[in-house]
Amino acid sequence: MGQVYLEREEEAACVIMCASVKYNIRGPALIPRMKSKHRIYYITLFSIVLLGLIATGMFQFWPHSIESSSDWSVEKRSVRDVPVVRLPADSPIPERGDLSCRMHTCFDVYRCGFNPKNKIKVYIYSLKKYVDDFGVPVSNTISREYNELLTAISDSDYYTDDISRACLFVPSIDVLNQNTLRIKETAQALAQLSRWDRGTNHLLFNMLPGGPPDYNTALDVPRDRALLAGGGFSTWTYRQGYDVSIPVYSPLSAEVELPEKGPGPRRYFLLSSQPAVHPEYREDLEALQARHGEAVLVLDKCTNLSEGVLSVRRRCHKHQVFDYPQVLQEATFCVVLRGARLGQAVLSDVLRAGCVPVVIADSYVLPFSEVLDWKRASVVVPEEKMSEAYSILQSIPQRQIEEMQRQARWFWEAYFQSIKAIALATLQIINDRIYPYAALSYEEWNDPPTVKRGSVSNPLFLPLIPPQSQGFTAIVLTYDRVESLFRVITEVSKVPSLSKLLVVWNNQNKNPPEDSLWPKIRVPLKVVRTAENKLSNRFFPYDEIETEAVLAIDDDIIMLTSDELQFGYEVWREFPDRLVGYPGRLHLWDHEMNKWKYESEWTNEVSMVLTGAAFYHKYFNYLYTYKMPGDIKNWVDAHMNCEDIAMNFLVANVTGKAVIKVTPRKKFKCPECTAIDGLSLDQTHMVERSECINKFASVFGTMPLKVVEHRADPVLYKDDFPEKLKSFPNIGSL
Amino acid sequence: MQSWRGKSLWLALSASWLLILLRVFPLLRLAVPARPWASAPQGWPRWLDTELLPSFSQPGELPEDAPQPPQAPRGGGCDWGACFDASKCRTGGLKVFVHPVAGPISASHRKILASIESSRYHTASPEEACLLLFLSLEVPAGECSPVPQQWNGGRNHLVLDLHPAPCPQTFQLGRAMVAKASPTVDTFRPGFDVALPLLPEAHPLRGGAPGQLRQHSPHPGVPLLALAEERGGWRTAGTDPSTCPWDGRCEQDRGPEQTHPGGTLPNATFCLIPGHRPDALHFLQALQAGCIPVLLSPRWELPFSEVIDWTKAAIVADERLPFQVLAALQEMPLTRVLALRQQTQFLWDAYFSSVEKVMHTTLEIIQDRIFGASAHASLLWNSPPGALLALPTFSTSLSDFPFYHLQWGSRPVGRFSALIWVGAPGQPPLKLIQAVAGSQNCAQILVLWSSEKPPPSRWPETAVPLTVMDGQRKVSDRFFPHRAISTDAILSLDAHSSVTTSEVDFAFLVWQSFPERMVGFLTWNHFWDEAQGGWGYTAERANEFSMVLTSAAFYHRYYHTLFTHSLPKALRTLADETPTCVDILMNFLVAAVTKLPPIKVPYGKQHFEATPPLVPGGPEPQPTARDCINQMAAGFGYMPLVSSRLRLDPVLFKDPVSVLRKKYRSLEKP
Repeated sequence: MGQVYLEREEEAACVIMCASVKYNIRGPALIPRMKSKHRIYYITLFSIVLLGLIATGMFQFWPHSIESSSDWSVEKRSVRDVPVVRLPADSPIPERGDLSCRMHTCFDVYRCGFNPKNKIKVYIYSLKKYVDDFGVPVSNTISREYNELLTAISDSDYYTDDISRACLFVPSIDVLNQNTLRIKETAQALAQLSRWDRGTNHLLFNMLPGGPPDYNTALDVPRDRALLAGGGFSTWTYRQGYDVSIPVYSPLSAEVELPEKGPGPRRYFLLSSQPAVHPEYREDLEALQARHGEAVLVLDKCTNLSEGVLSVRRRCHKHQVFDYPQVLQEATFCVVLRGARLGQAVLSDVLRAGCVPVVIADSYVLPFSEVLDWKRASVVVPEEKMSEAYSILQSIPQRQIEEMQRQARWFWEAYFQSIKAIALATLQIINDRIYPYAALSYEEWNDPPTVKRGSVSNPLFLPLIPPQSQGFTAIVLTYDRVESLFRVITEVSKVPSLSKLLVVWNNQNKNPPEDSLWPKIRVPLKVVRTAENKLSNRFFPYDEIETEAVLAIDDDIIMLTSDELQFGYEVWREFPDRLVGYPGRLHLWDHEMNKWKYESEWTNEVSMVLTGAAFYHKYFNYLYTYKMPGDIKNWVDAHMNCEDIAMNFLVANVTGKAVIKVTPRKKFKCPECTAIDGLSLDQTHMVERSECINKFASVFGTMPLKVVEHRADPVLYKDDFPEKLKSFPNIGSL
Repeated sequence: MQSWRGKSLWLALSASWLLILLRVFPLLRLAVPARPWASAPQGWPRWLDTELLPSFSQPGELPEDAPQPPQAPRGGGCDWGACFDASKCRTGGLKVFVHPVAGPISASHRKILASIESSRYHTASPEEACLLLFLSLEVPAGECSPVPQQWNGGRNHLVLDLHPAPCPQTFQLGRAMVAKASPTVDTFRPGFDVALPLLPEAHPLRGGAPGQLRQHSPHPGVPLLALAEERGGWRTAGTDPSTCPWDGRCEQDRGPEQTHPGGTLPNATFCLIPGHRPDALHFLQALQAGCIPVLLSPRWELPFSEVIDWTKAAIVADERLPFQVLAALQEMPLTRVLALRQQTQFLWDAYFSSVEKVMHTTLEIIQDRIFGASAHASLLWNSPPGALLALPTFSTSLSDFPFYHLQWGSRPVGRFSALIWVGAPGQPPLKLIQAVAGSQNCAQILVLWSSEKPPPSRWPETAVPLTVMDGQRKVSDRFFPHRAISTDAILSLDAHSSVTTSEVDFAFLVWQSFPERMVGFLTWNHFWDEAQGGWGYTAERANEFSMVLTSAAFYHRYYHTLFTHSLPKALRTLADETPTCVDILMNFLVAAVTKLPPIKVPYGKQHFEATPPLVPGGPEPQPTARDCINQMAAGFGYMPLVSSRLRLDPVLFKDPVSVLRKKYRSLEKP
């Protein structure tokens, strides 16, 4: 909404501006004939009029654009003023939860029809206050956290206010804490929701399930088919693939400032900070402390604190007082023991402190375990094995511990730190189930940003040597050098593994020669005419390309021998995820200019190959055309240069691997023609190419090119061995 | 003048107001109905008294949870913590005992038994074992297999149930885990039971057929969809979006299509598999064919779902939305299709292609549960070469392995250790030590003294630390993961090898680009010998090679761990008995892991040639050595070696340019 008003305001500003402009245009015709006194008078008059106009405009439009639209749209209301709904004592109660529910049995997926964004639509029922026949409220109307949660959903992309288009319904009845509600009446309140329909597609959030004395591990409110996002599920109550296990939010997350502390060894190896631990467990913990001394610290609640000190924020060991949660940052491992409930808010505090949780709660389903890999951030110890916990932890190498500390902190930041984070992760999990082909990957859920930045996932990761019989498609980009083109075609057609030849005719003003004039070759030859003379046409993923291997070749490359090309193809088969080319080039860091420099000298290193003749996988054509970062593609087309450098950047960036230069070839021009290129021409060329490298490095945000000092030659190249027995005897020189 | 002034004043005023009327009022009119109070598309309201709302848990309530004594596991229910006693495994490692099977057993059961017995976890004594395996047999309907001895209430038992049980409740399972082919989702206990694939009767014991994928991207002409048919075959359907791929699920006619008989594998980009149980067999076929499985609301648990991230290789979709699924498949980005296709092949090759792999994967999963924090990381399971070939006992840091540098954004650690094996003649390789120590990248020299003669007391002064270790007089000892090896890279040498410093330097540089491969100087090539009907290999110089000699080669130290701990004992014994075999075995191992050929770098001493180092006589290997390649191939179940036709040279190698330009000019000396 706010967006619309902003635009309106701009429009209004334009009206005023346009008006004044129009006045000014008319002005000069009148004013010059007047005396300066009058002129001032009129100008003042018009200014007043104009100011009035601006003021009106401001008055009309200003206030709406600065206020957030929803604040402005809904009159300020109090939670106390929400409508009251009386629930008759005999109103229906839903069935108890159905333990056999799965997405394909209990979830109505037809409500979440196909949509291009692959996002579910979530509707929130409006807030009501439910009372029983005697006017006694059923529960607290709403808690701060549940209000925050609904606000977060409402502000997210998932939200819809159209109940008929919604796929998921979130009741505003707050069931976060089972102890604050009356079970039967809450169930009745759920049952009378307008789209309840046995709870189909309804999502309930609950963090504190069960109540004394037996503390069930799932919400006791009968809810039929509704999905439950619950904190504290056990494997017995958790419906795998249907429910979502969520964390118990720790209010300390918002209350306490806790600066991040990096991973590394800490003062205590193992810490137990929970004040209410069952005596049996406390005995076990204290036995651990007795055995391992200083390295283990077991804290309890403080008994001797003076009035007024928040006991929630203090822990004691004998007479020593510790600040909580700060003390968690002093420990490498922190115990998260089950209480009466399996889910404990302390888990959130522990993760935040970068302390690795040692979860001792049999059958507990860890938060978001459907997507999060808890092995990377926690250690799970069976309750029976508590006495062995210390030795189990001791066997973990330090490097792995630091990795786990980092991971723990990252989980907190991404999925625990606020009610909003919890709500959005829950919806994302459900979204992933409904649109599985658009689901987030394991890496997207689990890899911390530092890993995501450094890692490369090679799109052609499977080690696979394509069969030789497949052959390659040669793509010749040409403008009008027909004679030279025909020579290239004739030469290339001699290569045994060529399976098709594609000529990209980049000249719109001239038709390609008639069919009869083309050289007769043994493989299909196809001419593609382009709409515009662009360099990127060379890297277009033409439907005509049927092989995986593509040979890009210029229409003037006639010096490469058939053996050389065939060998190039063989090398590509062994490195199908790389650019395999002939002359190599290098990028260098220019310390004086503080930028990258293009180098074509004959050095011992290569980081690029020229695509005047290069083999590569046809998938890179798709990437070049559709996934090139930034404006590089257009930039190359506009400058008519550096398409090869762009391709080198793209392939190196996506695969993380270096190019393969084959055979001695250092340049394409025939040796006798080098003199034609003037020195100055050469220099401007070098400057332009250097500019390209700098431009691309800034667009990619990194320098993806890899420098290597090797090239590929045939096994017996220049060996003392009879030439006629060599597979590729005719390898050209520089 | 006055009237003129008045006129112009009026003119100006009226013009301004006209402007206001014309321009601003319509705007206001437009603006008014758009205001939210009219149509009210409201979100969740911002309450005035948000600050006053109570928290869902009162301060103190969270930590003050009423404590409760530990609960015993619920009646009948079992999970890992409650029903498995891992303490025995933690001290002695995972040891598996198989209850002897009474009566006749089928061929597939025999394969299972054989594959477990070949596993490094197998033990013959039930006392030593921490996991007891019980094979549930097919018995005539109505009868049930007897409860074995030492059943112990099923504690630490794994019941292997490969066929839909004819006897519904074979016996009281007690605390036993069940490894079952395609278990139904409702009875499967995640984290306790193991879901196996439904294997066809003829599944090979070892090796197995490789994946069918020959190219990374789908071939342009290939149909988009293949559908699993009730009768067991596949039907390919056109790509026309208006055609309905489902039987009886939509009204339109089906498009042009072809039906394929049962045995053939589907040739399509996606394979639609309905979710009923018998279709689990289709699932493996699709996987092998590199056809991305699209599972429609499967009622069965996907195989090894505890460790395999199936979202990377298959799509689990809702059968109620056929058109939505179809549209999503058609619009799927090429990048995703490529990734899914390749993952199917990797998973097939790593875990499913043979009975042995399936059984070893099952044991590895249980081993991982015992290991807890030091189990395989998810990446080890889900990226090549797979968890059976990436041992977590080597390291829990991914960057220590040669395979994950790209995904992890790391690189192999700086320098190399030279490991010189001194065999029978017992000549201290003084010249070799000098040449290797001259390399700037050399971190240490380790001499593995395996000769009967005592090692000399004095060794030459070198710039790098030199350690002499007493070897075990066994050839396989040279591939033992000695503690003294401190670097990722190992330069393996024989006492009589001869290399120059610059050869070593360049080879090491190349190895850093290919840390998962072997980089060597001398090569052998294998070939299929029609006349003998077996594999052969030759040391003669050829245009191709598939092995590099370990008498001078760089490789990652991880292969020592793999050689010692993952290879079947029989193969290592074979190598000890026939020393030439050790080279072949190492090359087999690395090729089986990487599926790629080794790398050859230039070597000056051409006269030295690739004579097998320990075999006197001509270039042709001895008959016993010839046998050895065939025995190795039988042991692996297939021929893993891959040939290469290239050699990596320095960029200016033997080029007609000034010698001064060249960094590795001494490589070119004849």
